[in-house]
Amino acid sequence: MLMALVRRLTLSFLILFMVAVFVFVATEVLPGDAIDVYLSADDLAVMSDADIEEMRQRFGLDRPAWVRFWEWFSGAIFGDLGKTLIDGNDIVDLIWHPLLNSVILGAIITAFTLPTAFIIGSITGYKRGSRTDGAVSTLTLVGYSIPDFVIGNVLIILFAVWLAFFPAVILVFSNASTSELLAVSLLPALTVIIGHVAHQSRLLRAGFIETMNSEFVERARLSGLPEKWVVFRHALPASIIPMLNSLALYISGLLAGLVVVERVFGYPGLGRELIEAVARREVNVVQGITFWSASFIIFMNLLADFAIIALDPRVRSAKSA
Amino acid sequence: MERFRKFNRRDVLIGSGAIALTASTIDGSFINHAAAASPKQGGKLVYVGIMNSKHKSPEKAMHPYTGIEVRTNVTYDRLTWVDEDLGVQPQLATGWRAVEEDQTVWEVDIRQGVKFHDGRDMTTNDVVASYNMHRDPKLGTSFSKKLLESVEKVGPDKIRFHLTSPNSELPWWMAEYRQAIMPADDLDKMGYSGNGTGPFKFADIDVGRRVIYEANENYWDEGPYLEQLEVVTASGADPANAYLSGQIDAILQADPAIVGYLGSRDDTEISTAKSGDQILMVLPKYEGSVFADVRVREALSLALDREAIVRIAYGGYGWASNDSHMHAASPDFLPRKPLRDVAKAKKLLAEAGYPNGIELPTFHYAPYTPELGRVFQVAAESVKEAGITMPIEEHPLSGYRKWRVEDKEKTRKHRFAMGPVGSRNSAANLYRMARPTYNESGYWHPSAEGDEYIALYKKAMLTGDTAERNAIYQEMQRLLQREVPGVFLTGRKELIVHRNTVHGLNSHAQYWNATFNKVWRD
Repeated sequence: MLMALVRRLTLSFLILFMVAVFVFVATEVLPGDAIDVYLSADDLAVMSDADIEEMRQRFGLDRPAWVRFWEWFSGAIFGDLGKTLIDGNDIVDLIWHPLLNSVILGAIITAFTLPTAFIIGSITGYKRGSRTDGAVSTLTLVGYSIPDFVIGNVLIILFAVWLAFFPAVILVFSNASTSELLAVSLLPALTVIIGHVAHQSRLLRAGFIETMNSEFVERARLSGLPEKWVVFRHALPASIIPMLNSLALYISGLLAGLVVVERVFGYPGLGRELIEAVARREVNVVQGITFWSASFIIFMNLLADFAIIALDPRVRSAKSA
Repeated sequence: MERFRKFNRRDVLIGSGAIALTASTIDGSFINHAAAASPKQGGKLVYVGIMNSKHKSPEKAMHPYTGIEVRTNVTYDRLTWVDEDLGVQPQLATGWRAVEEDQTVWEVDIRQGVKFHDGRDMTTNDVVASYNMHRDPKLGTSFSKKLLESVEKVGPDKIRFHLTSPNSELPWWMAEYRQAIMPADDLDKMGYSGNGTGPFKFADIDVGRRVIYEANENYWDEGPYLEQLEVVTASGADPANAYLSGQIDAILQADPAIVGYLGSRDDTEISTAKSGDQILMVLPKYEGSVFADVRVREALSLALDREAIVRIAYGGYGWASNDSHMHAASPDFLPRKPLRDVAKAKKLLAEAGYPNGIELPTFHYAPYTPELGRVFQVAAESVKEAGITMPIEEHPLSGYRKWRVEDKEKTRKHRFAMGPVGSRNSAANLYRMARPTYNESGYWHPSAEGDEYIALYKKAMLTGDTAERNAIYQEMQRLLQREVPGVFLTGRKELIVHRNTVHGLNSHAQYWNATFNKVWRD
């Protein structure tokens, strides 16, 4: 078990390194750099090439790419994400509030998504083939198929522009209190929830149907256990396993959804910060955000593994064997 | 039910970001201006504004070089202000004059009785210190570093500028957005406190996203009437959505594509400037380039249907350029006549050896503003009538400038591509074609015509008389229209969309010179 944990952690570190390299290379191959974005047409009208080159040297952008990467990565593994290229601000300070804001939004989404998906998935799975199952399955298929940015814009038009119930753009400060954020987060949260509930409920439905057809459920029924007991004690826990298996996918999907929804609504979270950093070509900020996001996904994946071991006797017995 | 009836297909287009499609419906008939009425005190204005979101530093958020929304006259004042007709008006200066005939030494009278936001009196020492910062080799702005030799106090209310070269338009230069007056301090500490003399003072900031200002009760000029001013950043469809949902009261630098629709609403007015930023087609003139031949350059300019571009791509909220950096709001602007002459374009091409038309190299542009794709599509279509084929290609904004001008120092070879041009005073505008090493002219220099142009520019900088200088500027523009070192296509008019309960908010060709002290609301 210990060896497996060490192996898993080593692999996680390798994945993180590869993610960091990939993101750095991806941003490096783009044309231009932070200086190109920083200088306005007005600046360029009075600056010579020598002025621009001097500026590039001042910000350390003339150094080889691998030197800049290693300088950043060697700090990042110890929690120091470095400083922004243009302003020299501490990146952890810069992304701390957006991170908290995204965690709040992500928590709201998850708090609604998982129970709702659980209820819908188990009901439709139990009533497989019924009218309810057909109708809900169609709706979830539609919900799953529509991209988040489309849902977000439709919600804006309906509830902000047309009915004026909610703000179209989130104008709270980055360091807004939780209550302020909660007051304006309904539309952004709903945007992501629709797609995720649809996806997760379909996973649970499939898992539930498979479990209900399994031998151990058949055996439980034949042994005379009440149907409720069979469903809640035996079938449902086993049906959650496909959901847990896809937890890493859920988390990465959630993060991707947050990037989109934060851009659509102007929500002051990590996703919006990432998009702005890409636009400003602040490579260190982009690296920092993706590094933290990848770390989070890997950590959640590890948690999911442990949860599966705890829930699935087959996996438990295979491990102990 | 009223809301229900107003929901239509256009709402969907706005909300989904497909705002460009509405451009064709705009006919400019919505332009309206607030009726004169007595200003009322109080209230708050929230607007989407011109924010510098490149910096994410709290320390730099209030600095006049790097701060957000300091380009408009909100927190800081300059010595002068350029009005909507591009005339120079006094701000913290009350008068100015060149004391040397060669326009290299200027005296400026400084306004008395002005207070900074913290209650300190503004003095000539503060003005001298501010300009010492502006010209400092490490801290200052490129323009000030090049132009300003020294600044000195010559009396309790008078300072003197010593310039590195003659400049008869110094008063306009003093109105540039970075030339803010700040309290004297160590030069490297100046500007970070946000302490200016402007009509509003900083109250709260979310760096790069949102600023809240409060009225400066000690403001030296009229107003401010508003108690609070708030500016937010938003892009794409967000400004229109925020406006439609009632979150904001105004949009500065509004996209022409959304203006027609928003302007059709009963609660909305549009303030339109005479001009705004324009676009330049940089023509490479190295040996072997088709643009080395002036006849091809002129043919291209004459073949372009600028009026169609203004009508279609800008929805009427544009203006036709004149093959110079000058913009239509300027009293020195010389319109190109004729603006279009397809027959002459064909004749010029035939004389240049292209009797059956010409295929130009691919023209590249980057989407600096949303309408540019439309602009060049119409442009490429319009030149076909003269037998000119002009393939166009959009390039990502990131790294565009460097890519456009590559290896210019060695070979002077560069791409046939677009450059953005801001609105400036005549001297600053026309100077841009006088720089021998500057790519915007497509390396027009050295040439006999280029030398003639530089000589005219130098003469203008020595000419204190406005009428005489105007005559020189006209001559310079005629020369540019004859030689066509670059083709200047069209520009957008600066637009402000605002609720009709907001008054005194006027669009300005130089967007950073919009003012808020006289703005009030019902």
